[in-house]
Amino acid sequence: MPFLHERLPNGLDVVAETSEAAVSTSVGFFVATGARDEARGIEGVSHFLEHMAFKGPVGLSAEEINRRFDRLGAAVNAFTSEEDTVYHAAVLPKYQHAAVELLAGLLRPELRAADFATEKQVILEEIRMYDDQPPFGADDRCRAAFFGSHPLAASVLGTVESVGGLEADAMRDYHRRRYAPDRIVLAASGAVDFPALVEQAKRLCGAWEPSAAGERAVPGRPRAAASPGVERIARPAATLGYAVRMAAGPAETDPDAERWAAALLAVVLGDSSGSRLYWSLVDPGLAEHAALGHHDFLDAGLLITQLSCEPEEVDELLERILEVYAEATRDGITAKEFEQARNKVAGRVVLAGERPRRRLFDVGLEWSHRRRYRPIAQSLADLDAITLDDVHRILAAWPLDAPAATVIAGPEG
Amino acid sequence: MKQQLFSATLDNGITLLGESMPGVESVAVAFHVPAGGVHDPAGRCGLATLAGELCLRGAGERTSREVVDTLEGAGATWGHTVSTTHTSYFGAMVARQLPTVLPVFVDIMRRPRLPPAEFASARDMVLQNLAGLEDDPGHRTMAMLRRLHLPSPWGMPTEGISSEVEAATLADVEAFVATRMQPTGLIMAVAGRIDWDEFVDRVTALMGDWRGEPGPPVSAGPRGPHVGHVPHESQQTHIALGWSVPPAHDDDSAICKAVLTILGGGTSSRLFTEVREKRGLCYGVSAGYSSQRDFATAVCHAGTTAARAQETLDVMLAEIDRLPGSIDADELERVKAKVASGLVMQQESTASRAGSIASQWYHLGRVRSIEEELARYDRLDVALLEDWLASRPPRDLSVVSLGPEPLEIPGAVSA
Repeated sequence: MPFLHERLPNGLDVVAETSEAAVSTSVGFFVATGARDEARGIEGVSHFLEHMAFKGPVGLSAEEINRRFDRLGAAVNAFTSEEDTVYHAAVLPKYQHAAVELLAGLLRPELRAADFATEKQVILEEIRMYDDQPPFGADDRCRAAFFGSHPLAASVLGTVESVGGLEADAMRDYHRRRYAPDRIVLAASGAVDFPALVEQAKRLCGAWEPSAAGERAVPGRPRAAASPGVERIARPAATLGYAVRMAAGPAETDPDAERWAAALLAVVLGDSSGSRLYWSLVDPGLAEHAALGHHDFLDAGLLITQLSCEPEEVDELLERILEVYAEATRDGITAKEFEQARNKVAGRVVLAGERPRRRLFDVGLEWSHRRRYRPIAQSLADLDAITLDDVHRILAAWPLDAPAATVIAGPEG
Repeated sequence: MKQQLFSATLDNGITLLGESMPGVESVAVAFHVPAGGVHDPAGRCGLATLAGELCLRGAGERTSREVVDTLEGAGATWGHTVSTTHTSYFGAMVARQLPTVLPVFVDIMRRPRLPPAEFASARDMVLQNLAGLEDDPGHRTMAMLRRLHLPSPWGMPTEGISSEVEAATLADVEAFVATRMQPTGLIMAVAGRIDWDEFVDRVTALMGDWRGEPGPPVSAGPRGPHVGHVPHESQQTHIALGWSVPPAHDDDSAICKAVLTILGGGTSSRLFTEVREKRGLCYGVSAGYSSQRDFATAVCHAGTTAARAQETLDVMLAEIDRLPGSIDADELERVKAKVASGLVMQQESTASRAGSIASQWYHLGRVRSIEEELARYDRLDVALLEDWLASRPPRDLSVVSLGPEPLEIPGAVSA
């Protein structure tokens, strides 16, 4: 699968992984901005701005944008995280040009006052929707407890107060600082006409001006929870109890081998089936869900434990989970477990690689964060080179049973 | 490119389906055993789900642990679901692993050990899942809609009812498996990098000598329309609406699906435009089509702050009411574009294709080529949609809400 790259004079990168077997084209704008880049008082602006982008640039209404995307039969969407805001579409190859035209327009929204007021209500509904669902805000609260004053403590959605009080001018200012072309990657995957893509990028994005302001704040790396211990959230209407526990792990900028090893460790200990947590808690019917995942940011990483079970069992089962972690730290994992985890992860890499719609995110985020390209074959080779000792080194370097941030939500807190 | 579709039927009633997909390294399987929630005996709602769980806990020569270790050691992404009508097994893997994975799924379907020592754990797992679903307001709302609108037992919750799962015994599971886990009507689909002849030979060797009698047929009881409210202390109120439409095998189902896509199947749809874009009433609002083999339901769903729930319901009902006589050509063109791109993109996922051909066989008794499916939509025009809406206007709606307060339902909606 050939990889192609060109940088526009204003710093905007255009990248593509092309595939002859593909029957579709996926394109996306990857903006290196998210919740961690928000100043105090405007929490949630990145995500709100992502919604406002679909309200359209000067001269184009939201309804017209929606109609135009749907006329292409495009699978179009966007998401905002702590570090990224991504606008993406999957279309038949003949619509590549039309899809890029529409997507580029989203990145220069007019931010009309009436749209701003209406969409604010939609965001507030989204906040309430998540607040009604498990884990009832425990994930946001736990990240805040882990990261303390670090920018990654921010909630992507923001709060009813921060979004409710947000002014359009604050969003305009944020957009001007953060949506500069030197922080944007236009990525494509599948059946891509790359020369046409570059030509179009020059025409549509060539006049976007780089921004001198607003470099991303990267303070010292958090290697342990800022507020270790247990917080509780009371939700009288909840049936089960939900716990989220965050401990430190490798970051995205750590060596690839460490990230692969951390991913394999999480599969061995806490994959949704066939893992140690699965056999000790889920299979016996003690917990509805018990899992461990590795999540990495640019300058920090998390090993996240999630548990849901009968409310009165939460504390005891958290203890059981810590025993599972302590045993692994003490005795290591077996060669058989390691091989099984590696086969599982390799299978997932191959399957994801067959779908341009999935591949777009790997290619786009990798370039946006690291300015590099990893072909599937390279990823599989990297994975193949990981040893059992690498996983044991992760267990030693990032002790799972060390003090961590824990938040529990349930009927009585 | 021309699709390569295959089918074969074994003399014990198992149907084999295949699709060869160029340029992929993976293969995906979808196996549907006709043992689902509708087959739960009276007073044992959730038995199929419990049986599905216990069947995984040891099969043939393998223990529970060996079943999982073999599938995952082969790097397969796999799972099982129990639906209204089937217990289904799915797997996707690098093609060379199929000979390792296939016998495990065969044993789960054909030779489950149903170990007594695992029964209590399996039942507790099902009960844990049931408790978890209580915390999912959207799921509870849709479950209530199915229960009120669909004829019994199709509307019963496949995931079970706690008190009835608690009452279930190992003997109940054994009887269910003996009656329902049968070769007759079993569908085994494979898609991706396949060698069809080899697949048929392998399955024939593993399953060809399986004999059994189909379980007794299930008859449908009375159905809605009905109105219901689930009291729940939440910030949002969830609203679900349903009415009856033609099932998938009916020629008119393409027309119906097109109408529902116009109503609520995308960001330029009427519900999204009127409820979310113009009024900011909710984050999610949609309309969709849900089909059993012999009947189908049009379903609309929205979740919104309790104080604005009545307005949301009123706008949704007004949009449904406005459908006849209002279809425009551009809306229909957008539906066609959506269908075309969706069908083409399915060809990049082996799991999607395996699932799709298996599901079509169940609903239609055959597999439609992508070309044929496209043609069903290409022939549509505004007049066809309007004629259909004139003869089948949405009416006799079931309306369900979940939230702090019940909503006011206009008398005209529900007969």
